[in-house]
Amino acid sequence: MIAIYICAGIAVYAAIRIIAEHNTMRKLPFLNVVSFAVTGIIALLMPHPITIAAAAAYFVGSTLESNAIASTWSGGIKKDG
Amino acid sequence: MLDEPLRILIAAIICWLNFMTIDLIFRLPHSGGVSGATAIAQEVEKGGGKLNGGFMMGNIVSSPDASAGTLLASCGVYCAGLPGGLFAALLVYIGNRICYDPGYAGTTGCITATFIVYGATQIGFVASDFIAGMVIAILTIQGISYVHASRLVARLWKVRCRFIPEDKP
Repeated sequence: MIAIYICAGIAVYAAIRIIAEHNTMRKLPFLNVVSFAVTGIIALLMPHPITIAAAAAYFVGSTLESNAIASTWSGGIKKDG
Repeated sequence: MLDEPLRILIAAIICWLNFMTIDLIFRLPHSGGVSGATAIAQEVEKGGGKLNGGFMMGNIVSSPDASAGTLLASCGVYCAGLPGGLFAALLVYIGNRICYDPGYAGTTGCITATFIVYGATQIGFVASDFIAGMVIAILTIQGISYVHASRLVARLWKVRCRFIPEDKP
C-alpha cells in the first residue's frame, strides 16, 4: 500500500519541478518522471489484465508527446539534400 | 518476511541496475536517436552536464527504453503474472516503433525485468514493490539533478567503452 503513495508523492514532486524549471527542454525529463509515476498509479489502482494495455497506452502516448515536443522545439525533421 | 519499505528499496536498486545495464549495452548514451533527444542532450550540456549523459536522458524521454520496459513489465506481472509481463514486452515493442525508435533496448529490458520480477515474487517480494522501485529508480536519473545524473551516466558510459573499445564516448 505504501507503493501507491510513493508513486503519488514522486508525481507531485516532479510536477513542482516542471513548474520551477524555466528551460523547456529541461522540463521534459521531469515530465518523463510524472509519466512513470502515473503509469505506476494506473496499474496499482486497477489490478486487472486489461490495465496493462491501458498503462502501456498512456505511457507510450505521453512518451510520443514528449518526443514530438522535443523534436518540434529543436527544429523538426531534418531532410537530407 | 521483509517490511514493505525495505522491499521497495531493494526493488529500486534491482530495477536501477537492470535498466542501466541494458541501456548501456544498447548504446543509449552514444547518440540521440531522434532530433529531440539530441536537443535535450545539448541543453543538458549547456547547463553544466555531460553530453553522453544528456543523450541517454534524451533517449529515455523520446522513446520507451529499458526503464520503461522494467516499469511496464512490473505492471504486467502485478496485473496478470508472467504472461502479463511478456504481453507488456509486446506493447513496448509496438511503442518503440510508434516513437520511431529502431532499437530493442525497451523490449529486451521488459523481457529481462519480467523474469526478474516474476522470480522475486517467488521469494517473498510483491510486484507492486517493483512498480514503486522503478519510479524511484527513474527519479534518480531524470528527476533530481540533470547535472549530476548526466555526469554519472557519462562515467558509466566510459567504463562500458573500456570493455568494448570501438564505441568511443
